[in-house]
Amino acid sequence: MSEVSEVSETAVLAVPAERVWEVLSATGRYAEWVAGVLEVTDHHGEATVGRTYSERNRTVGPLTTRSTWTVRELDPPRRRVDTGTGFAPMHDMTNVFDVEPVPVGDGLGTRLTYTVRYRPGLGPIGRLIDRLQQPGLRRSFQTSMRALEDLIIAEGDEHEGHNG
Amino acid sequence: MTSGATAGAAVGGTPVSVPRRVDVAVIGAGLAGLTAADALTAAGRDVIVLEARDRVGGRLLNHDLGDGQVVEAGGQFVGPTQNQVLGLAADLGVATFPAYARGASVYVHRGRARRFGGDIPPDPLALPGLGLAMARMNQLARTVPIDAPWTARHARRWDAMTFATWLRRVTAGTGGLELVDVFLGSAYGGTAAEASLLFSLHYIAGMGDERNPGTIDRGIAGAGGAQELRFHGGSQLLALRLAERLDGRVQLGTPVRGIEQGDRSVTVRSERGTWTARHAVVATPPVLASRLAWSPRLPPQQDALFQRLSFGALAKCEAVYDEPFWRADGLSGQGVFRAGSTVCSMFDNSPPGDGSGDGGGPGVLMGFLGGPQWRAWAHRPARERRGAVLRAFAQVVGRRALRPRSYFEQDWTAEPWTLGGPTAIAAPGVLTAFGPWRDRPFGRVHFAGAEHADYWNGYMDGAVRSGRDTAQAILAATD
Repeated sequence: MSEVSEVSETAVLAVPAERVWEVLSATGRYAEWVAGVLEVTDHHGEATVGRTYSERNRTVGPLTTRSTWTVRELDPPRRRVDTGTGFAPMHDMTNVFDVEPVPVGDGLGTRLTYTVRYRPGLGPIGRLIDRLQQPGLRRSFQTSMRALEDLIIAEGDEHEGHNG
Repeated sequence: MTSGATAGAAVGGTPVSVPRRVDVAVIGAGLAGLTAADALTAAGRDVIVLEARDRVGGRLLNHDLGDGQVVEAGGQFVGPTQNQVLGLAADLGVATFPAYARGASVYVHRGRARRFGGDIPPDPLALPGLGLAMARMNQLARTVPIDAPWTARHARRWDAMTFATWLRRVTAGTGGLELVDVFLGSAYGGTAAEASLLFSLHYIAGMGDERNPGTIDRGIAGAGGAQELRFHGGSQLLALRLAERLDGRVQLGTPVRGIEQGDRSVTVRSERGTWTARHAVVATPPVLASRLAWSPRLPPQQDALFQRLSFGALAKCEAVYDEPFWRADGLSGQGVFRAGSTVCSMFDNSPPGDGSGDGGGPGVLMGFLGGPQWRAWAHRPARERRGAVLRAFAQVVGRRALRPRSYFEQDWTAEPWTLGGPTAIAAPGVLTAFGPWRDRPFGRVHFAGAEHADYWNGYMDGAVRSGRDTAQAILAATD
């Protein structure tokens, strides 16, 4: 069995941790901020342990794949662990979000760590593919976290006017 | 909140218990109804205008920004060959100013944003086909009789297919179709798949006047086209000024429920009273006309047509900033979003400020949620929709767009006295089956509205043209 690969990126977002947790708990919204998720094809609303959601994901160029994720651990509002299928030749895919409130300037911010672990298949070829894809994965995690920050900023405060 | 300023000279709200007699009862105080009433009053007729809402203007609606400034939440642009509405504005003392168009526009496709100049986005794969398709559209539109499109030589064939089917035939790939759909998102509140080719060619043929054949180029253009100018004081000011001139002849808050007619008169019934008139003008969206209680019943063909002329789906989303910051970055604020974005197009909708169009007041960005974008986002929580719209704006003008001073939306599908926007689109089969019934008077009842115009159908200019034509028809019948 091949070794487990891990890709992890951290970003400090200028938005409150409770909003980060709220948005990343919405299993229907990943296409709005996770790079590479083209659409969420099935979801169960707020993440619940043992329940699943499905996505169509961009892979290489115009190629896409369909994935299904299962929520495995929830430690609100700090940690979330999901496992996914549909990313062959990568197997045993695990996605972890760690959320930590931190001060940003005069306000509240969030240190978000976005981690995936997986086992590359296809022997040496899979390991080569893994090495080649890791820089792109890191960039996409950073892009996703900045998109999440923008989403929360753009949605404004709960009581901010949305229609008037 | 959107102000929907009420007409200062409009009648308030006491129910009328005794039937009043007038020469003409006009139902609907949108631009067509008010224009008809104005022309009839000028000709010495006694007129009442009955309006369901507590304001005049129909699809023209000003949003109050404070400090005496407004921005349009409804129809807003005018341009060359729209001489009817421009003439009316001049007559009412409402001046125009150029919509802001200096600097680069931005084309967003697959999440990537690129600056460009002019009206056509830089998409090398889509452009050659689109250019040929636009030339062909103009060529075919010239063969469509403007007052009877159903008599065009190929009317049956063209009305048997959607505009999208035809576009797929004449362009390679999906780029041409998707770019046409950008325009139709705001023009139809829908897509080329929802409208017949014949209807669309007639719509294009109407983007001109008696001397200048209609072209799609004029329809999509800013400078030199239908998005060239805006009105000082907002477009609703036209309706407000007309209502003032009608001097108490507009009855607000009076939804008409039924129309009865005999040989000598027509009776218009509302929850607020009854009016007996020699003629009536129904100046409502066609679908609402079909929902009135008619006695005798509307001719079934006309009823069928009006039911089929339902409006598209359109909402305007507007973000207000302290200043139009994008102008300093050399941006016009205009964005063109190919398929998959939250909005189909966006514009700098800032009020004119010092009158030069250069600002000095707040900056406003406006995006259209039209057709597919409306269907994707209208049911989502307001907060999420706002976030998605502002992120689309940020793709065009940068992250400062994420933090507006205020934000508002005007969803025209939620307006019970409009039921969508911006106009009615005919699906395949409708024009050839029922087209001749569009403007045909039913006894003493005439029909007016932007959807009843041959030129600039669905636009303010079409509404004014239709109102004037209807008034002329009534005057001709009674002289």
